[in-house]
Amino acid sequence: MRKRLLHPLNHKAKMKNYLYLSLNPEALIASHLPPEEFGAYLAVGTQKLSRGQALFFEIDPSFQSDFLPTKDIATRNLAHRDGSPRRSTYLAIYRVLEHVPLTAIGKLHLATHDGRVLSLAAAKTPPSGDRCFHLYQEFCPVCVRVVSTLDPAEFCARLTDPTQPVSVPKIAFSELTLGALATDLESQAVGNLPYTGLPHLRDCLRELNRKPGKPTKVAIRNVRDDVIYRTIEGGFYVGHGHNLQYYPMPSLSELEATHHEWWKSAQSAFGG
Amino acid sequence: MTQAVAATTASAHGAGGFTFFGLFSDPKYTTLERGALLAVLAIAVIGLLYAWMLAVQVKAADQGTKRMQDIAAAVREGADAYLAAQFRRILPLIFIITAILYFTTQSDIAAFKFGRAGAFAVGATFSWLVGFVGMRLATIGNLRVAAAATRSYGEAMQLGYRTGTVTGMLTDGLGLLGGTLIFIAYGEQAYEALLGFGFGGTLLALFMRVGGGIYTKAADVGADLVGKIEKNIPEDDPRNAATIADNVGDNVGDCAGMAADIFESYEVTIVAAMILGLATFGHKGVIFPLLVRGIGVLGSIISTYTVKAGANDTSDTALKSVHNGFWIGSFISVTGFIVLGWYYLRFDAAYLTTNPMAVAGFPNGDPTQLPAWASFGIANADMRPVITCFIGVVLAIALNKVTSYYTHTTHTPVKSMAKACQTGHATNIIQGFAVGYESTVATVVVIAVAILLSFLCYAGTPPLFVAYGVAMTGIGMLTLTGNTISMDVFGPVADNANGIGEMGYDAQAMEAKEKGSYKRARQILSDLDAVGNTTKAETKGIAIGSAVIAAVSLFASFIAVIAVGSEDKISEMTTAQYLAEAGKLTVAHPMVFIGFLIGGAVPFLFSSMLIRAVGRAAFLIVKECREQFRDKEIWAGTKKPNYGRVVDICTSAAQHELIGPGFLAILTPVAVGFLLGTQALGGFLAGMILTGQLLAVFMANAGGAWDNAKKFIEDGNYGGKGSEAHKAAVTGDTVGDPLKDTAGPAVNPLIKVMNMVSLLALGVVIKYNIITGTGNRWIGFVVALVCVAAIGWSVWQSKRESKELQEMEKQFQN
Repeated sequence: MRKRLLHPLNHKAKMKNYLYLSLNPEALIASHLPPEEFGAYLAVGTQKLSRGQALFFEIDPSFQSDFLPTKDIATRNLAHRDGSPRRSTYLAIYRVLEHVPLTAIGKLHLATHDGRVLSLAAAKTPPSGDRCFHLYQEFCPVCVRVVSTLDPAEFCARLTDPTQPVSVPKIAFSELTLGALATDLESQAVGNLPYTGLPHLRDCLRELNRKPGKPTKVAIRNVRDDVIYRTIEGGFYVGHGHNLQYYPMPSLSELEATHHEWWKSAQSAFGG
Repeated sequence: MTQAVAATTASAHGAGGFTFFGLFSDPKYTTLERGALLAVLAIAVIGLLYAWMLAVQVKAADQGTKRMQDIAAAVREGADAYLAAQFRRILPLIFIITAILYFTTQSDIAAFKFGRAGAFAVGATFSWLVGFVGMRLATIGNLRVAAAATRSYGEAMQLGYRTGTVTGMLTDGLGLLGGTLIFIAYGEQAYEALLGFGFGGTLLALFMRVGGGIYTKAADVGADLVGKIEKNIPEDDPRNAATIADNVGDNVGDCAGMAADIFESYEVTIVAAMILGLATFGHKGVIFPLLVRGIGVLGSIISTYTVKAGANDTSDTALKSVHNGFWIGSFISVTGFIVLGWYYLRFDAAYLTTNPMAVAGFPNGDPTQLPAWASFGIANADMRPVITCFIGVVLAIALNKVTSYYTHTTHTPVKSMAKACQTGHATNIIQGFAVGYESTVATVVVIAVAILLSFLCYAGTPPLFVAYGVAMTGIGMLTLTGNTISMDVFGPVADNANGIGEMGYDAQAMEAKEKGSYKRARQILSDLDAVGNTTKAETKGIAIGSAVIAAVSLFASFIAVIAVGSEDKISEMTTAQYLAEAGKLTVAHPMVFIGFLIGGAVPFLFSSMLIRAVGRAAFLIVKECREQFRDKEIWAGTKKPNYGRVVDICTSAAQHELIGPGFLAILTPVAVGFLLGTQALGGFLAGMILTGQLLAVFMANAGGAWDNAKKFIEDGNYGGKGSEAHKAAVTGDTVGDPLKDTAGPAVNPLIKVMNMVSLLALGVVIKYNIITGTGNRWIGFVVALVCVAAIGWSVWQSKRESKELQEMEKQFQN
């Protein structure tokens, strides 16, 4: 599934420019690497072979912005002198997401710790469910974990509503599983929820339940840990107001059968 | 008294002369008995033929794609290289010990010298053969299982189990063949040859266990540290250079090591039963255990063939089928024992006249006065050997249950450890210690109850009859060795098959051919792996229990030999003599106490050497893997890593580490015997058996429980994979790994090797020890000094790196 890093000379003939919007940290990056190789590069590097999860959108290369330095990409993102491709040219590291229109945002790519990449295409209709409570992980521009009674569309609309006391212009987030807690706050069947501070999470949900006028509650102010991919419920979202773009996560059976290597890599956290 | 009798030892063997195969002309043996012995021999051959038939079936099965075959070939080559290197390392030692045994035999008759030394060589060869063939078959079977999983669950399961059965029946066949042939050749003078045979098997098992244990854990820990912890890549990822070594390790540890270990228990228990049987009930006491073993082999053949699974079965039904096989075998065996006892164990006046030593085994010397429970109401019948065998079968099942209780995810101990993971790494470790310690008590209680029941069967009779009862319990316990080893070897075969599936299946090609086929095949292999883990864990209790039972039986022989000064006079020993000698083994006696303390400490030093060895070897593997990961092409997956180099490092480290523990096991009893005397040696054995068995059970069960606590969390409890609890569980599993797979299993053969060495050296120890020796005590002093120096050197060696390893280290630094 995963394309490997190619030898530098292979790129010489075809040095295509790609534009990516990294979510962690927020940045606009130009690169000669296609998404699979760029994901591997972000995750494990080239020399230090560090490791780390990476989430990034593919941006339409023809996208132009007055706020972001998109005009001179071709001149800034030149190949190395030896002809090898330039892996990354950081164009901007601040307020990127808010200035990239949804129409320019393409596929979402999820890289695991060891650099395997799963690409998700946008879908039209967000899923609807009968869950009373939701758990959202915001990725950009802030990294807050929030419990809410709102569904993803409502959540996006509220968070990007400038009339609210606190809002952001645009947001990228995903829904995380609450397991049985999504429908029953007192459920004890929470064994497979890998979150730290589960009692606190339950308390937050109880508070939402007690206060019908309060649709959201911050559970963790600043999440520093990587997202555990197996906890993704439904998929990822990016949007503002009532404009929501949805990136559905493949089903478990599809992950096991079609994206086996990525899924196995995604599950192997700390010696698992 | 001991000194006086010892003086006669040298001439004792030759007193009545010796002729090979004398029992065919000895009027004491009936035609039926001779026929029965030949039948046992035939059963042993049938067992071997059955193993050969299954091997042919396994080899004929589909081998899958070329990619799968390449991976399996790499594992097979690594395993072969390991055993070849080990063989080269051990062979000179086997020659030396064979020569020592030949020249230290307390008889001038060549037949006895040859018998002791030759039987040792045969025992060692059989033990190695069981390990080698078992491992070879496992590395052939794993590929077939992986290929069969693409078609059907039942086919894959059956192939895996039958691969294990080949090793099981080889153990059965060779063990029975060796013991029976020795008895047929030497008759009632088989003592020395039987000891030699047992020692050969035991010593090889020790080396197989130690080498295999170090190899498997060094590879596993090295692969995990780099792969899972540092690079966060999944297990069996083909980019990890230690992946193949890890798979090789499963085979050398769990196939070769365990098979040789059980083979050794199989040998030692039959040796103990035959020696004690001869000294108590005469030739019926010897022939009965052989016939029981014959029934066991037949039971195993029938019951292992019944183990089957359907095309769409699950783990539960497969496990049920394996367990049903064990129950069927148990039923056949117990029924066979009863029928055999009813027919054969008749002690009429004529028999007691020709075998007067048996008289003491009956109330007032009269078999008709046995209570009804002991005679089953049959005139002149003594069914106590049948009852003690039955106790052995129950003991095996009980030990399975105890092991299962303390290590299985469905029971409280493992759940409590998983729960402790919620509060961190330390609490998991603490809880694991608590569970492990408690499990030793449960195991001790089960074994003690079995020994007590055996004792009660012979209450009121001289101690050797009691010891015979205990030895028969050991015989009963290992009756279904074929099934036990099948269950054990099935574990690594399924594990390897899963690895081959992971690395060798072409997911896209399989899905293109039939949608869902890849997922289904992987699920089958994963299920089989889970079944294999369970069956493998269950058999560990039997291995440890059998070591203790065999050691207790041999301990009685040890006291008896000291009491009369020579092994061939055991049958003439009186109860008073035995009790007088046994009475001297009191901790109030400083020498006995010193021996007791030293004996109790040896398993700890032994375990320490092994665990340290794993750490050293793992460190080198980590460095090698890191080095290879620096190659961008390997990391990118476009270039194959150098698997062979990691395999070489593991092989080299495992061989190097064999020497120290081997010296410790062989030379410590010799040093204690010569330096502190026979009573101290008795105390040494008692201390060693006690702490050895407690430590072995603790390490095996705590390690198993930590492993399963991790699996329990991964199954979606306390946060599941990736949670903080899971991280704590991984730490526990890492701590437990060298305990359960390296040090713990190696303590079983250690216990038996030390017992065997003590028995074999007892004659010269009695004569030359510096406390009570009747011969030149300077000889004893010099031998003891050499032994102590060699042990000291071994301990020192175990702490420093070999030249090869230092060279590798330099290569890494450059």
